[in-house]
Amino acid sequence: MNIIEIRGLTKDYPLGKTIVHALRGIDLSIAKGDLVSVMGPSGSGKTTLLNVIGCIDLATAGSVKIGDRELTALDDKQVTDLRLHRLGFIFQTFNLIPVLTSTENVEFPLLLQKRLDRKEIRRRAEKLLDDVGLSEYRRNRPSELSGGQRQRVAIARALVTHPDIVLADEPTANLDSATGASILEIMKEMNAREQTTFLFSTHDKNVLKYARTVVNIKDGLIDGN
Amino acid sequence: MRLLLIISLRNLFRQKRRSALLGAAIAIGMAILVIANSFSHGISDLLFNRILAFVSGHVSVAFTQNGNAMRPYFRDGERLMETARRAFPEGSRVTEGVGLFSRAIGNGRSDNVILVGMDTRSKATKKQVADLKANFRMVQGRYEDLQRDDIENPVLVASDKAEYLKLRLGDAVKVRFQDIYGRSQAASLTVAGIFHPANVFMSAPVFLDLRVVRRLAGYGQHDIGQIYVTMPDPKAHAVEAADRLHGMLHPPLAAAFGRLEKAARGAGAQSAGVQAAVGRRAGTQPAAGEASVGQRAGAQPATVLGFRVDSSSLSGLSRLLKPYLPAAMDSLRRTDVLIDHALADSLGLHVGDRCLLRYRAKHDTGEGVADLKVTAVLADNPMVSGHAILVNDKDFYAFYYAEWPLAPTREQGAFLPDSGNALYPFLCREWNLLPRTRTTEELRRKYQDIPGMKSHATTVDVQTMYESASMVVKLEYALNLITLAAVLILFFIIQVGVINTLRMTIRERTREIGTIRAIGMQKSSVRSIFMLETFFLAWFACCAGLALAFVGMALLHLIPFHMEGNPLGMLLVDGHLYFKSNPWGIIAYLALILAIAVGTAWFPSRRAADLPAAEALRHYG
Ligand SMILES: Nc1ncnc2c1ncn2[C@@H]1O[C@H](COP(=O)(O)OP(=O)(O)OP(=O)(O)O)[C@@H](O)[C@H]1O
Ligand SMILES: [Mg+2]
Repeated sequence: MNIIEIRGLTKDYPLGKTIVHALRGIDLSIAKGDLVSVMGPSGSGKTTLLNVIGCIDLATAGSVKIGDRELTALDDKQVTDLRLHRLGFIFQTFNLIPVLTSTENVEFPLLLQKRLDRKEIRRRAEKLLDDVGLSEYRRNRPSELSGGQRQRVAIARALVTHPDIVLADEPTANLDSATGASILEIMKEMNAREQTTFLFSTHDKNVLKYARTVVNIKDGLIDGN
Repeated sequence: MRLLLIISLRNLFRQKRRSALLGAAIAIGMAILVIANSFSHGISDLLFNRILAFVSGHVSVAFTQNGNAMRPYFRDGERLMETARRAFPEGSRVTEGVGLFSRAIGNGRSDNVILVGMDTRSKATKKQVADLKANFRMVQGRYEDLQRDDIENPVLVASDKAEYLKLRLGDAVKVRFQDIYGRSQAASLTVAGIFHPANVFMSAPVFLDLRVVRRLAGYGQHDIGQIYVTMPDPKAHAVEAADRLHGMLHPPLAAAFGRLEKAARGAGAQSAGVQAAVGRRAGTQPAAGEASVGQRAGAQPATVLGFRVDSSSLSGLSRLLKPYLPAAMDSLRRTDVLIDHALADSLGLHVGDRCLLRYRAKHDTGEGVADLKVTAVLADNPMVSGHAILVNDKDFYAFYYAEWPLAPTREQGAFLPDSGNALYPFLCREWNLLPRTRTTEELRRKYQDIPGMKSHATTVDVQTMYESASMVVKLEYALNLITLAAVLILFFIIQVGVINTLRMTIRERTREIGTIRAIGMQKSSVRSIFMLETFFLAWFACCAGLALAFVGMALLHLIPFHMEGNPLGMLLVDGHLYFKSNPWGIIAYLALILAIAVGTAWFPSRRAADLPAAEALRHYG
């Protein structure tokens, strides 16, 4: 069963008087539980693709389905809820909330969901921080953490809601290669353990070995080879 | 919600410098507002509760004869006092006020002083008495010593006045003054107490028992000088209550009913009418043993009515009566006394004859006498039904006020025209109720117009502190205006400050906004975060401002001022600025500032919430 179904997806950006065709007709299916790497040079459309799948950006044309839901039919409120309950995000620049501690950052999506009581939320957050090896940094704010530590907090935050899909846009680009490798290691482990679908973009060929499926993208099109 | 609070609060403290700048501006603004408000509230407390309550009451009813302020009396006092008591709400205090301008001669020095009568005997609540006494911080003697009758005319004097006149406790002070009839009088007062004046208004007058001042000024038993009303919350209710009282004071038709007889020819050929007035005042009451009203041989029941003599009334009445006047008479004169044809015939009265109306008096048990000289006989006419004499204003009020007639009734057979009678608008009323005015300027003009009425009716004027002391009230307005200006400036500062601060904050946190939107926070929550931040900032700033204000007021209060002789001195209490914080005012300002800050924050916050997540995430700044 495919968790993501993309048909004829295009995305245009108006840029002054011209139009940038960032995606030019993408067909893509991703199976549940897969660990996919989107490869491609800079400017090829990786971020754009992930943003559209992540409901952060709207497609210009085509259809994007997550599970059985057609994204283009949803309004902002529904799309926001979908992100909150079914998707997780990891960013190149970590994007933790600076005024919250590690634990609080991880709790954040659960608090927004308002489904669990505070105790359970705290328990889950701390458990995940343990899993990513940060049990000693629960009370630290992002400014007190290294890049790798921050990205591990971000992974914990993305996973804490047990999302269907975790989208990671160049999660290792701002990290040295050793730290980057450890981050991908964690992702691979989580994918194996939780059966969470991972979709990460990169332009670094060295990380390919972590992926089970590789999607090559070039000039807004999937490269068949 | 907790999450939003945490994020807002922590962000507020993260951006310390920016928050501190805007916060300081708001805090200083709040402090200025609170200080200005407390100052103007203090002044109004001073004015309304401590000064005006003495000087004129919150509402007063003043009387004059012919607009002459030196003749302040009303002959049928208890009746108006009763009306005033009915007109005012629970908790009001209706008292008689009398003041007498005088020249006081102390030990080698003299000065103008006003003798003010304090009503020490009428009923008052404990609080009213306490408020009153709070104004007399006695240095020597006691407030209650005003009531002593073992010393001659006890008086309380302010310490600075006592010093100026070189007076000490127990000293005698000579005062010279004119009584309400314009006669020069002198009296000796005894200093029974010296007090420390709480404000400049307390220095000028000296205080005596009301009864003493009444006696000195020559008030009769049924006369009153002025009515002062102090009431709870005068600012809200004084004008409305004054209007209500005014409505209740519309004067009824004035008439005297009794037996008319022809006077013996030549017996003291005085000018008509005046005799009655002079007679009573000189103490020549109708001799005891004389037959009482209505039992005299040859006398006829008759009603005496007055007619108005201002130009328009006179010509209107002339037109009305022309057909029934003697052919030789073109129009009415200001001195006419018209007798109806039937009455004249029955008594054998002719033009030039004097006649006497004996009527029952309202006060005392005696009777009043109107001595009238007939100037014309009125032919039968549809307007006058019953025996009647129409007397010009001057002669009419001369006897009317000399001995107030018991109100006649139709049952007795009196001729009392109703408002349907064409004569009605031209007839004299028991008094002359002046229209209500709203400002000192209108009040002044109103009094200028009185001589034009050519009336000898006592004027009755209902005033509020807004007219009698509108200068002082204006001062409060001026202060409120300054406060308002401060408020407007503050609004501007808050708006500019909030918008700029938020703009910077939002730019700085654009990526954070993108992140929380991506993770799944709804737009409305994002908006709330920024609104809450502004709310907390304004709230903390207001609290700080409040603290600042109280420290500021405490410091300002410490500064001594020396303002003797300066009218601004009335803003001081014991030579210091006086502040009275007004909790509702503070709450209102707090609410206002919060509302403005949060209201202003709405637009930038909405813009932040509406940022497209993808754009926001790409933002590097
Ligand atoms: N908001 C935008 N407005 C205009 N053009 C845009 C916008 N976002 C992306 N583009 C353009 O779309 C194309 C694809 O951009 P995208 O960011 O998806 O590339 P990428 O593969 O993520 O590149 P990189 O590896 O440098 O992150 C680029 O040519 C880019 O300039
Ligand atoms: Mg990219």
